Amino acid sequence: MNIRPVLKAASGGVSRKRTQTAVIFLVLLVSTAAATLGLALLANSSGPFDRGFAAQHGADVTMGFSSARASDGQLAATRKLPGVTGSDGPFPATEVTLAHAGFQLPLATVVGRGSAGGKVDDLTLTAGHWPDGSGQIVLANNTYLVPDVGQQLTVENAPGKPKLTVVGFANSITNTADGWVLPSQVAALRPAGQPPAAEMLYSFAKAGTAAQVRADQAEIDAAVPAGAVTEHESWLVAKAQAAGAGSIIAPFVVAFALIGLVMSVLIVANVVSGAVVAGYRRIGVLKSIGFTPPQVVSAYLARIGLPALFGCLLGVAVGNWLARPVLDKSAPVYGVGSQSVPLWVNVLVPAAMFALVLLTALVPALRAGRLSAIQAIATGQAPSQGRGYAAHRFAAGLRLPRPVSIGLAAPFARPGRTVVTLAAIAFGAVAVIFAVGLDASLAQASDGQTHASAVQVQAGPNGPGGIGLGGSRDHAVRAALRSVPGTSRYVAEDFLELGVPGLSQPVNAEAFAGNASWTGYQLISGHWYHGTGQADVNTGFLQATGLSLGDSVRVSAGTSTVRVRIVGEVFDPQGKDQGAMLTSWQTLGGSAAGLRIQQYDIGVKPGVSVPGYASQLGSDLGQRYFVGTTAHSGQFYQIAEGLIAILTLMLAVVAGLGVLNTVLISTRDRVHDLGVFKAVGMTPRQVIAMVVCWVVAPAVIAAAIAIPAAMALHVATVNAMGQAAGTGISSVIMDVYKPAEIVLLALSALVIAAIGALLPAGWAAGARTATALRAE
Amino acid sequence: MDADALIQLSGVTKRYDSSGQPAVDNVSLQIGAGESVAVMGPSGSGKSTLLNVIAGLDRPTSGTVTVAGERIDKLSETGVAKFRRRKVGMIFQFFNLLDDLTVADNVLLPAQLAGLSRGQARQRAGSLLDRLGLAEHRQAYPARLSGGQRQRVAIARALVNSPELLLADEPTGALDTTTGEEIGALLAELNAAGQTMVLVTHNPDLAARYASRTVQLVDGRVTSDVVAAVPR
Ligand SMILES: Nc1ncnc2c1ncn2[C@@H]1O[C@H](COP(=O)(O)OP(=O)(O)O)[C@@H](O)[C@H]1O
Ligand SMILES: [Mg+2]
Repeated sequence: MNIRPVLKAASGGVSRKRTQTAVIFLVLLVSTAAATLGLALLANSSGPFDRGFAAQHGADVTMGFSSARASDGQLAATRKLPGVTGSDGPFPATEVTLAHAGFQLPLATVVGRGSAGGKVDDLTLTAGHWPDGSGQIVLANNTYLVPDVGQQLTVENAPGKPKLTVVGFANSITNTADGWVLPSQVAALRPAGQPPAAEMLYSFAKAGTAAQVRADQAEIDAAVPAGAVTEHESWLVAKAQAAGAGSIIAPFVVAFALIGLVMSVLIVANVVSGAVVAGYRRIGVLKSIGFTPPQVVSAYLARIGLPALFGCLLGVAVGNWLARPVLDKSAPVYGVGSQSVPLWVNVLVPAAMFALVLLTALVPALRAGRLSAIQAIATGQAPSQGRGYAAHRFAAGLRLPRPVSIGLAAPFARPGRTVVTLAAIAFGAVAVIFAVGLDASLAQASDGQTHASAVQVQAGPNGPGGIGLGGSRDHAVRAALRSVPGTSRYVAEDFLELGVPGLSQPVNAEAFAGNASWTGYQLISGHWYHGTGQADVNTGFLQATGLSLGDSVRVSAGTSTVRVRIVGEVFDPQGKDQGAMLTSWQTLGGSAAGLRIQQYDIGVKPGVSVPGYASQLGSDLGQRYFVGTTAHSGQFYQIAEGLIAILTLMLAVVAGLGVLNTVLISTRDRVHDLGVFKAVGMTPRQVIAMVVCWVVAPAVIAAAIAIPAAMALHVATVNAMGQAAGTGISSVIMDVYKPAEIVLLALSALVIAAIGALLPAGWAAGARTATALRAE
Repeated sequence: MDADALIQLSGVTKRYDSSGQPAVDNVSLQIGAGESVAVMGPSGSGKSTLLNVIAGLDRPTSGTVTVAGERIDKLSETGVAKFRRRKVGMIFQFFNLLDDLTVADNVLLPAQLAGLSRGQARQRAGSLLDRLGLAEHRQAYPARLSGGQRQRVAIARALVNSPELLLADEPTGALDTTTGEEIGALLAELNAAGQTMVLVTHNPDLAARYASRTVQLVDGRVTSDVVAAVPR
């Protein structure tokens, strides 16, 4: 086969149909990028911890030792024990209380390490740099309390309260520390009276199960002097923690990824087969001048394949570029240092997309190869006749401007193409509607956890111990709350841990001294407690205890034991099976049982500046009290919202391109009819209206399908997320679609379609009438 | 120069590509109201191009085109569309009917585009279809009609807005002789009733029988312009 005329015919075709070539290129680019991103997210959402663990050489066991009982030499000797396959340390370590901007952080383990790298527990620096001098600390990247590099921390319980500047964040896959400083720094941070300690990190030959990990720990225990070991931590604990957050985000990431993949395939198939059919006329001409069928087939594969190939290749690059910020956001949620697009995705996606192009091009191209020259010319020319008569008849009777009614009826002449257009619009609309709902649900869930819209300010006594209800300090705080303008309401509370028979973990309880039904807890079922002896609990409590609403349970706070009846289930996720209880001060025995006020929840009147209010209250209360504003949303929600936004935008763009392409192909098919319309006096604006109307009926049907589909997807996804988080879902979170909003969202389908149609409509309006009529 | 001319071309040149031979080369022509002009010439001599320029379907590269007092070479695309809709009816060799609309809807279309009420448009289309012997085919689709019937539908569509000017590009070119003569007679009848008409054909017989003036084009230039000595 002589290849030169083939290539020439192919490239001639390319330059002739420049817009079509550009569309094929663009659609492949965007689809490949979407598929790359989608598959990368899918790949990274399945077993992210295990891959992170392997990549970062996680420590199977992290152990703490008292340096007084075991020398560094004795510890180093444990590295040669038979079961140990890898180890690092000893590193000096200490437990400190850090404070940031007046707030105390939970007790933190600070370890001295010379560098981030290591044979075991290779840390991934996610921001900033490793400490290179005194007064510097790198924090674990799951410490969400300190948002930025450059912030100052105070070591509250070390002599002289030394200050540390946060110079970076790092991820330890097995959470071996909350912060790292240079080894020489540790001594200066150690609180008075705390004995020196050291940390060792081990990998073992066998550490797959809890029993194996226990045996490994026992081997180390036996090798060091009695009492030297102060702490064991199994990698299985870190794995369980990471699985929690990751499994919450996974359902919607998977949903988006699947929508993106399906839509990419659909649109590519539509674009490519449309392009080949549009080229039939040229195929006929090539044949009539002596091209053999194989030459025709290769000419067309080349014509479609070249721009598609470039689109695929650039699409992978764009997909990787887009995946970077997304994976940077998802990595900390999955509890791993970094995530990347796997190599197999980068190879598979462009290869599969290109194969899809060739396959979808091959079928019509082979058919073209078999067609006689005259048949091909005829097929390429006019849309199949005889269909869509009824639609036109019906539309003609509507009281609508004629260009509109003709445009509305047009898609019925090409049902196959119309169905694909409809599907592209529907998928795009599902993505948008689903995203809007998910975003609203996440915002509600976030508010249900932070209570930021009800309780804008929190205040309380500094330091441990709390203050007595009705005592002089309580009176002083209440007086200040009454005098500061803007206070709407407030309630005092104590936080305590309750023992519940049958539960190994204590239940986190809040006892409110006064009405607290306004504090923003969302009810999943039942009602807010009233009267002594009633309590609300979270889903984790019900699941852990197996109790249900109406049941009574004995709980013990310190020495006293009381019986409470569960009257409501609230949204308060604290991790799988972690119970929480909300009840009144009196129910838990009141001040007599040792309850002390630890915090006042304060609601500020609408319109009052919250920071202004907080600083006024702070200065009124003075040094002995903390005053803080409630953070609006946690990092998890910000990450999730960012992810949703970028995924939705991409899917909407792909859908719009899909529509653009279909309309483009249709205008080519109908170039002759368009010429006739113009010849009988249709103005450019009427032409645009007519062409845009081609997609209106499919868009309306697509919206009608997309609304219930997106709502169902939303319910399923939110439920899956709740299940992963171990919580039920309140109706406030679930019922986010308001009827008026649904109508607006349905418009998203129309908007996607209209934007996609507008460009080719403009081209059609601008095309030369005389030329169009010559295309006979 | 005749100030009353319905069509006035002066120095009209149309080039499709900047380097090559112009399709219409410096043509000046006046056609008065009520005239019936046949434009003749070999294939590729620029007849269709000339007609398209008069209809505002294409723009001249240079020169001016005035039709019914409007400088259509200067109108915007929208302006040209509105001009065409009110002032010009066109018929073509291959009919150019819209296949997915019924006969009646094809004929109604220009009236509806022009904003005529549905009732008015229907009435006008109905009487035209009656007059052209298409009454029983109103609800038929063009594909089911014979060539002569289709061309009559096209004529009805061209006349529905009562245009001042009827332009016909080889209206009998795709028809057999007998049918072609029927269409020719129909056009002559319309002209007799006062319809101004420009008719492109390369059938000298047709031109001689149904037109009162014949313009000859060769390579885009007017080589002769003859008014029939004897009225028909
Ligand atoms: N849209 C066009 N693009 C390029 N060349 C054209 C176009 N229309 C006509 N021509 C050329 O202009 C010349 C005149 O064509 P035309 O007006 O169709 O002639 P006729 O109608 O007399 O056969 C021809 O050489 C033709 O090839
Ligand atoms: Mg011609």
